[in-house]
Amino acid sequence: MINFTNVNKWFGDLHVLRDINLNVAQGEVLVVCGPSGSGKSTLIRCINRLEQIQKGELIVDGMNVHDRKTNMTQLRAEIGFIFQQFNLYPHMTALGNITLAPMKVRKLKKEEAEKLGREILERVGLSDKVDSYPAQLSGGQQQRVAIARGLCMRPKIMLFDEPTSALDPEMIQEVLDVMVNLAKEGMTMIVVTHEMGFAREVAKRILFMDEGQIVEIAPPEEFFTKPKSERTKLFLSKILTH
Amino acid sequence: MFLFYLESLMAVFPLFLKGLWMTVAISGLSLITATILGFLAGIGRSSGIKLLRYGIGFYVNLVRGTPFLVQIFVIFFILPEFGIHLEPFPAAIIAMTIMGGAFICEIVAAGMEAVPKGQREAAMSTGLSRYQQVRYVILPQAMRTILPPLVGQYVLLVKDSSIVSVIGVMDLTRVGWLTVQRIPEGMLVFGLVGIMYFAVCYPLIQLAARLEKRMSVGESRL
Amino acid sequence: MLEYFNFRVIAQYLDQYLIGLLATGWISLVSLFLALILGTIACVMRLSKNRLISGVSAVYIESIRSTPLLTQLYFFYFGLPSIGININEVQTGILALSLNSGAYIAEIIRAGILSVPRGHIEAGIASGLSFIQRLRYIILPQALGVVVPPLLGSAIVLVKDSSLLSLISVLELTRAGQILTSERFMPAEGFFTTAVFYLVIYAALKVFSDWAQKKLIFREAH
Repeated sequence: MINFTNVNKWFGDLHVLRDINLNVAQGEVLVVCGPSGSGKSTLIRCINRLEQIQKGELIVDGMNVHDRKTNMTQLRAEIGFIFQQFNLYPHMTALGNITLAPMKVRKLKKEEAEKLGREILERVGLSDKVDSYPAQLSGGQQQRVAIARGLCMRPKIMLFDEPTSALDPEMIQEVLDVMVNLAKEGMTMIVVTHEMGFAREVAKRILFMDEGQIVEIAPPEEFFTKPKSERTKLFLSKILTH
Repeated sequence: MFLFYLESLMAVFPLFLKGLWMTVAISGLSLITATILGFLAGIGRSSGIKLLRYGIGFYVNLVRGTPFLVQIFVIFFILPEFGIHLEPFPAAIIAMTIMGGAFICEIVAAGMEAVPKGQREAAMSTGLSRYQQVRYVILPQAMRTILPPLVGQYVLLVKDSSIVSVIGVMDLTRVGWLTVQRIPEGMLVFGLVGIMYFAVCYPLIQLAARLEKRMSVGESRL
Repeated sequence: MLEYFNFRVIAQYLDQYLIGLLATGWISLVSLFLALILGTIACVMRLSKNRLISGVSAVYIESIRSTPLLTQLYFFYFGLPSIGININEVQTGILALSLNSGAYIAEIIRAGILSVPRGHIEAGIASGLSFIQRLRYIILPQALGVVVPPLLGSAIVLVKDSSLLSLISVLELTRAGQILTSERFMPAEGFFTTAVFYLVIYAALKVFSDWAQKKLIFREAH
C-alpha cells in the first residue's frame, strides 16, 4: 500500500530523512516511535505531501506521491491525517467540520454527507455533539471529531501524528479506544506515538527512528523483549519507566 | 460683515449638501470596487505562486510609494496620451479603486497569514483544492482580523476622496473651494466642510474601534 | 513607449525638480519635528486625569482624524488671512502638516505607553521608583518598540501628504511636475518624473525604517 524506496529529505542543510526503505501493507497498523527530531513526523507528512522529498520514490496506493503530475486531490481523499493539535475549523460545528470535504471533494449532496457524518460521529461516541463548536469541546472530544473528519472521506489509509500528545492524561484513553476499534476493523494505519500500550495491543510492527534513519522495525513482542539495537534499548528504557 | 457672510453661506448650503452627496457617492462606489480588487489581490498575494506575489507586491509598493495626488494626476492627465479620455468622475473612481485596492490587499494578506498554518494543512489533507481551502476554511477565519482595519481603510478612502476635487469633481471640498472665492470667510466655509466630513467619518471610526474590541474579546473566548 | 519619452525636457526642468525635492525634504523634516513635539504634548494631555485637559486634547485629535488633510489645509490657507493672520504658503503648509501628523502621533505614543503591562509598572512602584524613573527605565524602553515602527510610517505618510502643498502654490516636488506639465503640455514626462522622485524617497525611507527596526529588536534582545 505504501512504499518508501531510498527516500531522502533535507530541511535546508539538515538531513531529516536518510535512505528510508519501508513497505506498509494494506490493513497493517504500524506504530512509529523515536526521540524528538528523529524525523518520525516528517516521515508520515511526506505520505500526503505535506512535506516534499528530494530523493527516492514514494508510492502510495499505486500513485507516485512526488510526481508533479499526480492528482493530489485524488490521493489526499484516500488518506486521512490526524494532527497533534487537532486543527478543527473553529468557525464550523462538528458536523460542519466533517462534512465539508465529503461535499466539496467527493461531491456528496448535503443530506447524504450529513447522514454519513452523523453515523461516523456515533461511531466515535459523539452523537450528542453534532452541532457543537470546537471551542465547546474538550481536547479528547476535539480529537475524536478530527478522527471522524478523516473517516468521513472513507479513506484507505489513516495517518496519526502524535494524536494524544496534546491531550490531558484523562482524555487519552477515549481517543485510543477509537483508534483501537479502527485498527480492529482493518484500517491501514501509521501512528506516530509514545503510547506503547496501544502499540502492544494493535500494532503489527513497531518502527523505531533516530536521527532520520529507521533503526529497528519488528512486531511488538520482539520489539519490547528483544530489541536489537543499543539505541532502541536506550529509548525503551527512557519511555517505559513512566 | 461676518453676519452677511454667514447668511450667504446658509443660502448656498444646499450646494454643500450636493457636494457631500457626491463625496459619499464616490467613496461608496470606490469602497466596493476597491474591496473587490483588494480581496482578489490579497488572496493572490498570499498564494504560493511567485509571479503573483511579486507582481502584486510591485503594484502595492507603487501605490504606497507615491502620493494619491500624483496618482490622480497620472490617471487623469496621462491616460489621454494613450487614447483613453476620461471624465473626472470615472477617473476619480479608477484612481480611488487602484489606491484603495493596494491598501486593502495588504490588510487581506495579513489577515490570511494570521490564520494558523495547521488550518491550511488540515484542509489540504482532506483533499480540498486551493480555492476551496481559501473559500471555506481560511478566508472565513481571516475575516476576524481583516474587518477592523478594513473599516479603518474606508475612513481613509472618504478622506482621500477630498483630493479628487482637484480634477474638477464637484465633491464637498470642491464646493468649499468654489464658495470661498465668493465668500472670503475661509474659516467659516471650511469649518462647515470639516463638520460635514466629520459627520461621515467619526461614526465610521467609532465602528472600527468597536469592531477591534469585539475581535480581541472573541479571541479570549476561543 | 520609452522612445517617446522626452528626456531632454526633463533635463531642462531638472533644477525645478531638485528645488522641489529639497523643499519636500525640509518641509517634511520641519513638520515631522513639530508634529513630534505637538504629538507628545497632546498625548500627555490626553492621558491626564484632569477632564478638561484630556477633553481639549481629545477634541483636537478627533477633529483631525475625522477630517481630510486637504480640508485642514484650505481651512488655514483661506481662513487665516480672513482673521488677519498673514503667513506665507510654506508656513501655512507646515502648520497644517504639523497639526495633522501631531494628532496621529499622539495616538501612536498613547498606544505605546498603554501597551506596557500594568504589572511592570506596579513592580516599579513597589520597588520605590519615582514617576520619572519608572518612565525612564520601565515604560519608555518597552513603549519604544511599539512606537517606532508606526512613527516611521507616519514620517512616510508626511512626505506623501506634503504633495498637497502644491495646491497652495508651494514649490515642492509635485508642483515641479505640474509646472513641466502646464508649460510644455507633457503630463507623462512631468508626472512620471515626480512619481519616480517620490518612489526613490519612499525606498530610502523604507530601507532606513527596516534598519532602524532591526537595531531596535537587537537592543530589546539584550
